[in-house]
Amino acid sequence: MKAKTKRLRLLFVLLVLFFTGLLISLLEGPVETDFRDLWDFITNHDKTLGTIFIDLRLSRALLAFLVGASLSLSGAILQGYFQNPMAGPFIVGVSSGASFGAVLSIYLGLSIQFLGFSLQSIFAFASGFAIVSFVYLLSQRKGVYKVETLLLTGIAAGAMASALTSFLIFLKAESFEQAVFWLLGSFALSEWNQIAAVFPYFFLCFILAQWLAKDMNLLVLGDDVAQSLGCPVNHIRKIFLAVSTLLAASSVSVSGIIGFVGLIVPHWIRILIGPDHRHLFFFSSLTGGVFLLYSDLLARTLLFPTELPIGIITAVIGTPFFIYLLSQRK
Amino acid sequence: MNYKKMHTALLLFLLNAVLFGSQQRTIKDDLGFPYIMTSPPQRIISLAPNITEIIFALDLGEKVVGVTRYCDFPEEASEKEKIGGMIDPNLENIKALNPDLIIGFRGNPLRILKRIRSLHLPLFVLEMGTNLETVFLLIKKIGIITQKEKKAETFIQSLRKRYDKIQSVLQNVKHEPKVFFSLHGMGLWTSGRESFLNDLARKAKAMNIAGNVARRWLHYNREELIHKDPEVIIILSKSQREFSKAKQSLKNEAHFEGIKAVATDSIYFLDENLATRPGPRLIDALEELARILHPQFFETER
Repeated sequence: MKAKTKRLRLLFVLLVLFFTGLLISLLEGPVETDFRDLWDFITNHDKTLGTIFIDLRLSRALLAFLVGASLSLSGAILQGYFQNPMAGPFIVGVSSGASFGAVLSIYLGLSIQFLGFSLQSIFAFASGFAIVSFVYLLSQRKGVYKVETLLLTGIAAGAMASALTSFLIFLKAESFEQAVFWLLGSFALSEWNQIAAVFPYFFLCFILAQWLAKDMNLLVLGDDVAQSLGCPVNHIRKIFLAVSTLLAASSVSVSGIIGFVGLIVPHWIRILIGPDHRHLFFFSSLTGGVFLLYSDLLARTLLFPTELPIGIITAVIGTPFFIYLLSQRK
Repeated sequence: MNYKKMHTALLLFLLNAVLFGSQQRTIKDDLGFPYIMTSPPQRIISLAPNITEIIFALDLGEKVVGVTRYCDFPEEASEKEKIGGMIDPNLENIKALNPDLIIGFRGNPLRILKRIRSLHLPLFVLEMGTNLETVFLLIKKIGIITQKEKKAETFIQSLRKRYDKIQSVLQNVKHEPKVFFSLHGMGLWTSGRESFLNDLARKAKAMNIAGNVARRWLHYNREELIHKDPEVIIILSKSQREFSKAKQSLKNEAHFEGIKAVATDSIYFLDENLATRPGPRLIDALEELARILHPQFFETER
């Protein structure tokens, strides 16, 4: 019962934060606007204000939320999967891999749609998946994951993918802006069809994760125990790996790499409400969304009128946290 | 519907097409996207300094509502609303200015241009090219979309005249000096074959020592610089003060003592904005460059 009130309280706080953040996002921007303008738009449907509020600011805030939710859910899954608090889409190299795939498809000029999926997200997924499988295979010794190997292989593979991404951008002599976008992330050019591209993946993955959360709780006890309790370990593992990669890849293909979100958010939640994945997945998603919503607000207001890449904000908040986690391990 | 009625309808339709249809034209921009021309644009946004310079030269200064933070010429341009930079133009600011024509160029990030288009804002994107002739083409295109074709034509003629004059003064040049362009503040950054500067050097009867490299900008090798031994070094900078600093640092470099340009103190200043913006002032840059490189031909002229 006590755990339940705790969760309800957290839910309430998060919802308040979410709506406050959304409202600030709507009112804050290079063009000065206040409540009256917002009201004016709602009652009179002014076209210019409409574009600014709906197409530019609301789409941006919601995309940031969605990407934050995806990355955090991906992180929560990876941490359960590797039974390791230091896993996350950025650390394991999925994000960098996905970013490389997306840039590669742009470099090859492949902007075709295939069965409703853009080739860019397929490439992002494939190369993110390749990296995570590589890391998975290397960090496994007789079914046991060595934390050091996992982290080092992940970071090495991620660095390699980032280097290749930079190389492709350099080859094409496209502007510096491209490199900054893919390597540090930004929501500056958000649009509704990006939300339409990410949301189905998130929705599907969220349902799947929530559905299999109980099995994830068993996996944490060790594969043997889980198997003996009737959990089809191999299948479950495959599904979770695909789900977490899909989440990271779809976010990266619309926003570039945004590091550390998937690492720190699930931690906060674990501290706040405990390690039960049935709640962990839901709250990680919600908190991750809110966290990125506010990070993006900072990114676009801190150095006004220019914008900071959002990856800088999340790294500044995330790195000390990562180091703290490392020091705790001894 | 009887025959007569149909006849009148057809006639009205044709009349309409003659009277109003001719006002609407669709042309493609340099990225291949259509731009629909209706009445002359009244609220123009420029996404690059050279575009701003051309628009003002076509007497359209009053119609400009937004420029980049780098647009500082002519002076009136810097008083216009700023919409951000060339690589980070702000969509909100652009939208709020309610433009009926946005002129961008290939140096603006493609992703941003795409987003501007998806907001249904009227965008026309220009290719910058690599030589002086493309500047004439730019002026012509901007003249067409702003419906100032006549003005553009006479303006181009006047620029051409100045260009022809420089060419006739320089026609007897025998020796084409080897020149190195130094982009101040960036080490040995210089301009390659695909830069406007390379074209200017050619037209001012000189040889850009980095002209064999098929790039716009590149970082030159120190050893290569000593080996190629330029007779003249041109430092592009924003001010005389910056220039003297850059010149001093070149002279202080011990390895460069043997370079002809350094030994004979043939190190000159060229206004960076003049020479790197593919706008009308490129002709000014060409004149200055010609004077620097071949002063003897211009003495007699005066």
